[in-house]
Amino acid sequence: MTRTISLGLRALLWLVMSTCIWGAFFYAWSDPAFVGQSSRILFFHVPMAWTSFVAYFAAAVWSARYLWGGRQMRHDRAAAAAVECGVLFGVLATVTGSLWARIEWGAYWNWDPRQTSIVVVLLFYGAYLALRSAMADREIRARISSVYALIALVVTPFFYFIVPRITESLHPEPVLNKEAKLDVDPRMFQVLIASALTYSILFFWIHNLRARTQALADAREDEPS
Amino acid sequence: MELGGLGWIFAVNLIIWTGLFVFLLRIERRIAGLEAAGKGR
Repeated sequence: MTRTISLGLRALLWLVMSTCIWGAFFYAWSDPAFVGQSSRILFFHVPMAWTSFVAYFAAAVWSARYLWGGRQMRHDRAAAAAVECGVLFGVLATVTGSLWARIEWGAYWNWDPRQTSIVVVLLFYGAYLALRSAMADREIRARISSVYALIALVVTPFFYFIVPRITESLHPEPVLNKEAKLDVDPRMFQVLIASALTYSILFFWIHNLRARTQALADAREDEPS
Repeated sequence: MELGGLGWIFAVNLIIWTGLFVFLLRIERRIAGLEAAGKGR
């Protein structure tokens, strides 16, 4: 891809994200069911949570490619980078959610099922990163962490999508409610979807940079001293 | 919250996003430079 097209696409990303931020504050309505303008934090919190799931899913895909696609280390690096990004976006979602919880529910932490489930998933993937750091041999590390990432993907959708719909929660109804119907104002929905897509694209960019950085580090390690 | 308040929060968010964007661009340029140096060896 030429440098001009590459820069142009990045400039477009800046513009689209800026438009989403503008939409969050001036296009979408503030939900009257919430305290003051606090519902606007959802245009950041929900896309961050969604993007963390995209990252974990991507990690599982790259892990599968490593295991059944020729054991290429670049797939393992991609999987690890995806988990790191997933943890980053998961932490950001937890922090923004806690800020909103302080306004709506009076406390940063309430042991709400949805709050708790995202932290459980964070611990799960934190263990993935701890597991990787404990193994020096690259191939053994890649094999074990690939299996772990695939198992994690069995668990993660349960915590992200099932638990909020089968438990009583302080959380607002999900965008797709228990009857699988859209339960949100159209303008809010438009900004939510646009933000979720834009954050996902941002994840792929950050992921690309992280994976390339790790490739450089591995290459430096392999250089004869 | 008055509109003036929303305007300030919007501006702060935009500055944070622009700062992150420029940061990522600079990292990407540095990575590309290191990759090119690695290939040149």
